[in-house]
Amino acid sequence: MARITLDPITRIEGHLRIDVEVNGGAVTNAWSSAQMWRGIETILQGRPPEDAWIYAQRFCGVCTTVHAISSIRSVEHALKVEVPLNAQYMRNIIMAQHSVQDHIVHFYHLSALDWVDVVSALKADPKKTAQLAQSISDWSGNSETEFRAVQSKLKSFVETGRLGIFSSGYWGHPAMKLPPEANLMAVAHYLKALDFQRRAAQAGAILGGKNPHIQNLCVGGVATAVNMENMATLNMEKIAALRALMEETRDFVQKVYYPDMIAIASAYKEWFKYGKGVTNYLAVPEMPEDTHNTRFALPGAIINSGDIKGARIITNHQDAPLIGGITENVAHAWYDGSGSKHPWEGETKPNYTDFQENGKYTWCKAPRLDGKAVQVGPPAQLFAAYAGGNQKVRKLVDDSCKKIGIGVGDLHSTMGRLGARAIRAHIMADYSLEYLDKLVENVGKGDKAYANHTQIPKGEYRGVGFHEAPRGTLSHWIVIEKQKIKNYQAVVPSTWNASPRDDKGVLGPYEASLIGNPVAQSDKPLEVLRTIHSFDPCIACAVHTIDPEGKEITNVKVM
Amino acid sequence: MKTLIFGAGNLLCSDEGFGVHFIKYLEKHYRFRDDVELYDGGTLGIMVTHLLEEADRVFLVDVVDAAGEAGDVFRYEKDEFLLGRLPIKMSPHQIGIQEVLFLSDLRGRTPDQVSLFGVIPASYEAGVELSPALAAKLPGLAEMVVAELQAAGHEIVKLA
Repeated sequence: MARITLDPITRIEGHLRIDVEVNGGAVTNAWSSAQMWRGIETILQGRPPEDAWIYAQRFCGVCTTVHAISSIRSVEHALKVEVPLNAQYMRNIIMAQHSVQDHIVHFYHLSALDWVDVVSALKADPKKTAQLAQSISDWSGNSETEFRAVQSKLKSFVETGRLGIFSSGYWGHPAMKLPPEANLMAVAHYLKALDFQRRAAQAGAILGGKNPHIQNLCVGGVATAVNMENMATLNMEKIAALRALMEETRDFVQKVYYPDMIAIASAYKEWFKYGKGVTNYLAVPEMPEDTHNTRFALPGAIINSGDIKGARIITNHQDAPLIGGITENVAHAWYDGSGSKHPWEGETKPNYTDFQENGKYTWCKAPRLDGKAVQVGPPAQLFAAYAGGNQKVRKLVDDSCKKIGIGVGDLHSTMGRLGARAIRAHIMADYSLEYLDKLVENVGKGDKAYANHTQIPKGEYRGVGFHEAPRGTLSHWIVIEKQKIKNYQAVVPSTWNASPRDDKGVLGPYEASLIGNPVAQSDKPLEVLRTIHSFDPCIACAVHTIDPEGKEITNVKVM
Repeated sequence: MKTLIFGAGNLLCSDEGFGVHFIKYLEKHYRFRDDVELYDGGTLGIMVTHLLEEADRVFLVDVVDAAGEAGDVFRYEKDEFLLGRLPIKMSPHQIGIQEVLFLSDLRGRTPDQVSLFGVIPASYEAGVELSPALAAKLPGLAEMVVAELQAAGHEIVKLA
């Protein structure tokens, strides 16, 4: 038996440790451990509820927008505040563009190199690469010249020993299967993708005022006035710029990212067999289309044991069984006690014990829905919308499965999670433009409202702000008392997925997904990374000290 | 010439937010023209690549894990990040500022001059304030950076 510890494993600024036991070339046991304490919720206690979102968007280093949205919704839910349609549409565009940006970056920069061999790309024929790329897409950037330029740049870096972040990849690993031309195509798109994630960020900034930290939310709406003739507000000129950016990004997603994903999935079809894990899923409804958060474009659902047809559809954000059914257990987490608490009663009292595989071993609590472990993220989002009858989602999921030659049930897997994310990016790119049209139409009808300005009343109020973030269901839970925050808890997507065992010993989604995962070489556990990275892990979010490896660098102390 | 001052860090983890506090300090005490961009970058890595690529000169301000006392400030130049002197990571891309610079280089777009001012933190405890040791470093570091910018031709006014 081999015991492998991977630490850190996340590619975004976080610290996730995965321990696996390997017997006969497959994983037989697994532990997921968040190595950084995120007790930052305590900072919010005693502050004004209307400011919570400003601090909350600093929870995570990458997904700032999603915490701002969830936080503001928690206050609106607590105080039953209506949100004008213009504000809902603007928020929908911001959310959709953030998803597009996040999914592009996850696919190309945080997971593609688990499947794409950069060194093999050096052996590719640029002409054949262009033929391959043009056979799957009519995107204008797929020329022989383009691929030749990327390859020669890559060669010059390799020749001078400057492989940088590529230097420690698992190149030549037996689990790498793409031909050199497919590898070169993917590397070229990897470099190009940075330009398009940027356009998505710019689109968010036009509406949000600033990216990464949006400035335009307020309890009851947005602080972005709408006046088609006034230069200082959201006007026709800004809307035209927004549309152009979002169309270019949509083309990249639909003509580059999505076909690349289909190609990789088709080449690695066996990865639809691995990584299943927990098949209970949760997604909340998203993309509100009324002022009360009762009508949504994308339905939510609770799915048990992979039974998509038998899903319980969630139609709004006031769903009482859902709100009452969420608890967090700390039996195996570094907090006091071993019990479960509802987030409104939640505590954050640290009790660090070191890594004890049968005891406490992580800073991540174990969220449970009706006592069950649950997976969140793009598969849950698609399954919920599929079950709830969203025709766009049904059609694209069915088409994609047909192209790859799999069934919808095969999406409960490592490759299924990657594929679901690409499908979701495709859909979000369309929704971005659809909500821009709806915004223009609504303003055209004479509706200029963008916020219901709200005073925080005296008394005690409880609220929850749900949001389907790129990584899955996010909820912020707030208790307001005497116009101040009395308690605040965030149950984030990666907490659901990176959950440790609970008091009944039930494994969390990362842990369960690894059981049976192949490992060809225990000193190069590429296959473990594939499955964990398929969740788009983002854990401590917060701490990211630069480690310049002092030995090689001459430190010049300046102060 | 466009100069970017990029403060990285998480504002909610006391000293970890040093870079962000530094940006706020500059905004409060100095007035810059359009040729200097002050950027509160939070903890984003790859998603801000374009900002670095669009500047001619970049100053990064962040916490570093180096030998020394809390509050010590070190300076590193671009070549020390690049040229294979990156820390060896377990996976092909644990993406942070260093990797972002490498990627920009591969895209042929890194600015010529990139300097990192790295401070050794005293505390990562939850909190929106800096520890006294690091708070005390803000004025001196600001003066140093401003003087260098002025020497490079930027007009900067110190506010009373």
